[in-house]
Amino acid sequence: MAAMFSQNPLMNGPNYSFNDSPRTSAPEGAREHRFDPYTDNGGSTLAIAGADFTIMAGDTRLTSGYSINSRHHPKLFKIGGTTADQKDATIVLSVVGFAADGEALKERLDAICKMYRYRHGKPMSVKACAQRLSTILYQKRFFPYYAYAILGGLDEEGKGAVYSYDPVGSYEREQCRAGGAAASLIMPFLDNQVNFKNQYIPNSGEGHALQERERRPLSRNEVEVLVKDAFDGAVERHIEVGDGLQMMVITKDGIEEILMPLKRD
Amino acid sequence: MDHRPQAWGRPRDDIYGAYDASYLQTSGPKTATQSPVVTGTSVIAIKFKDGIVMAADNLASYGSLARFTDVKRLRTFLDTSVVGFGGDVSDMQFLDRHLKELAIDEAYEHNDDQQQQDDDDSHHKSTPGTALNAANLHKYLQKLMYRRRNDFDPLWNQILVGGLDAARKPFLASVDLRGTAFTSPSLATGFGAALAQPIMRRYAATDEDAARLTREQAVDVVKECMKVLFYRDARSLDRYSIAVVTKDGVELSEDEQLERQSWAFAERIRGYGTQTV
Amino acid sequence: MFMARSEYDRGINTFSPEGRLFQVEYSLEAIKLGSTAIGVATSEGVILGVEKRVTSTLLETSSVEKIVEIDRHIGCAMSGLQADARSMVEHARVECQSHAFNYNEPLRVESCTQAICDLALRFGESADGEESIMSRPFGVALLIAGYDEDGPSLYHAEPSGTFYRYDAKAIGSGSEGAQAELQNEYHKSLSIADAETLVLKTLKQVMEEKLDSKNVQLASVTKERGFRIYTDEEMAAVVERLPTN
Repeated sequence: MAAMFSQNPLMNGPNYSFNDSPRTSAPEGAREHRFDPYTDNGGSTLAIAGADFTIMAGDTRLTSGYSINSRHHPKLFKIGGTTADQKDATIVLSVVGFAADGEALKERLDAICKMYRYRHGKPMSVKACAQRLSTILYQKRFFPYYAYAILGGLDEEGKGAVYSYDPVGSYEREQCRAGGAAASLIMPFLDNQVNFKNQYIPNSGEGHALQERERRPLSRNEVEVLVKDAFDGAVERHIEVGDGLQMMVITKDGIEEILMPLKRD
Repeated sequence: MDHRPQAWGRPRDDIYGAYDASYLQTSGPKTATQSPVVTGTSVIAIKFKDGIVMAADNLASYGSLARFTDVKRLRTFLDTSVVGFGGDVSDMQFLDRHLKELAIDEAYEHNDDQQQQDDDDSHHKSTPGTALNAANLHKYLQKLMYRRRNDFDPLWNQILVGGLDAARKPFLASVDLRGTAFTSPSLATGFGAALAQPIMRRYAATDEDAARLTREQAVDVVKECMKVLFYRDARSLDRYSIAVVTKDGVELSEDEQLERQSWAFAERIRGYGTQTV
Repeated sequence: MFMARSEYDRGINTFSPEGRLFQVEYSLEAIKLGSTAIGVATSEGVILGVEKRVTSTLLETSSVEKIVEIDRHIGCAMSGLQADARSMVEHARVECQSHAFNYNEPLRVESCTQAICDLALRFGESADGEESIMSRPFGVALLIAGYDEDGPSLYHAEPSGTFYRYDAKAIGSGSEGAQAELQNEYHKSLSIADAETLVLKTLKQVMEEKLDSKNVQLASVTKERGFRIYTDEEMAAVVERLPTN
């Protein structure tokens, strides 16, 4: 399970996100093979918070090893609505990693959101939902949900809110986050394009005096293009990402779902 | 005879040396299926216009030994769905018993509409469509499998469930020993995922493609795939079961024979290493 | 009520033929023996006031605790068996902390009241899944004051497990007279200071002892300062303000 949390490809050579890395040496006297309750189903997710919207995205491929199990397996879920089709939901959860755990996590959080509405007579805020998701994950600290979760919605002021998690519940609110197999490919692109990292104003000075490009909130259209570009890039370089792109745009008017094709190779 | 039961059925110490007792697990957690023993190979299935076709051969292997050659790996459920099992055969039989029980309970709960039609002098009418459909059954199996994996006592199977969903549309989904569940226009377990799935995807890449397939086309594709699997999967058999599920129910044939085999391709196979001859 | 006393008043889980649970009704009587407690909700916040029965000159009045904090934004005043209130308040405190831990937000006042009332019905033989903790109903009523996203609110919780929201409510031995007084004097535009005076004035009318700054206690819940029990100096200042008659 050590490889599960390792995002560092240098630690033990080329690092596949699925369990295919060659064993260097067998542990002493361990000839029996035990049941491994985890697997990695690949895929990638992404979330960007705007001034008055949040865009969540994920590819729809489900893999095991080199096989594509399904070309349409959504990773984005509306949470806490009052109807079966969640049409009045205001929060979106994305999960990537081990699909069965992701599904279980989603169903748990959704049930808790529904109970909350009955008990307290109000819908859950993203802030409350974010904290609850953290405690759900941490409650399984010693048999974790192997899922990288991202929660998106609008905060009390109507601003876009993105909360990202590790499998055991550490979380923080961020402007943007990529998760899953191609996170290491997408995140640097986001740093540069959303938070304008390593962008400087030309001729503004030498060394430390060089001025950073000032950050500005991106428009919905800009973000949608950014998301598509990010996934087109990930599909090109990561075998576990592809088939379809599912996007959810959360605004004060509700959640709009967009599906578009990605390369299927 | 050795008086210790632990030694019964084991190689004799005086001839083969001391037995590695670490396999016996005298202490520690409750022993569960930690590896499959008697196994079934691929199950394949594809959706078509009015339903689904599923097939699996009738072999249960013990390692590389073709141990049981008449094992039915497709099971019907309530005449609405069919379940195909790959993996451990004993776990399959456990699940089969469990599903039979569930089906009986369900038949009592909601006198399902199929039976209603057969029963001419029925006094009351039950609501149609209340019987468990394939989608319900798949969800149930997914929860069961996920629970067993959480208990570290997995049922060592990959399962395909086929039938119709609540909207009477073709439904096909899979669940494995870890509770991972997914759907697709065509599905295959085991070797079939590598050998049959690419063939089936040629005919049904999307649900729209599948909705254009006729029953005959779908059956032909599945039979062709079973042939390819028999050619290349060493743990497969030429006798197989095939099931077709439509709104009219399940048609299951458990004694099919592969037809029109051609082993001509075999002569051209030269091995996969550097060619020396 | 006492006319119908019969063999049905002993079992706590047996309805009488008229459909009454006598032990629960008796527990409501226990509250009428308790000291008077008053709550008044205004648009700025809620004021709670209680009389402390100083039965002896040797009694250290500061040890009479009839107003307690549940969370930073919720407090409650009690009347009846004080010891029973301890376990209810403890339950409410845990509920508030657990909500804050799980949801990163304060518990709503109504939800807190509901949590207390859930506990109030856990007497008698235990039902499936829930552990019974009391052999009899609680003998205490609470006035729960709090401030949440909907503003200030005041709730009255009874041993029967029912609760209602009030603008102004009196409980305890002097409740009948006090409630009539509140009915006359209450209006929606009361300020915090008005409410302080109204609470003390009403208490003064129904108390047997002469009201002074030692035998009453006030607390407030406001948006800015949350729940707060008045200090001796603040109490003295409010008592000073009371019209003399």
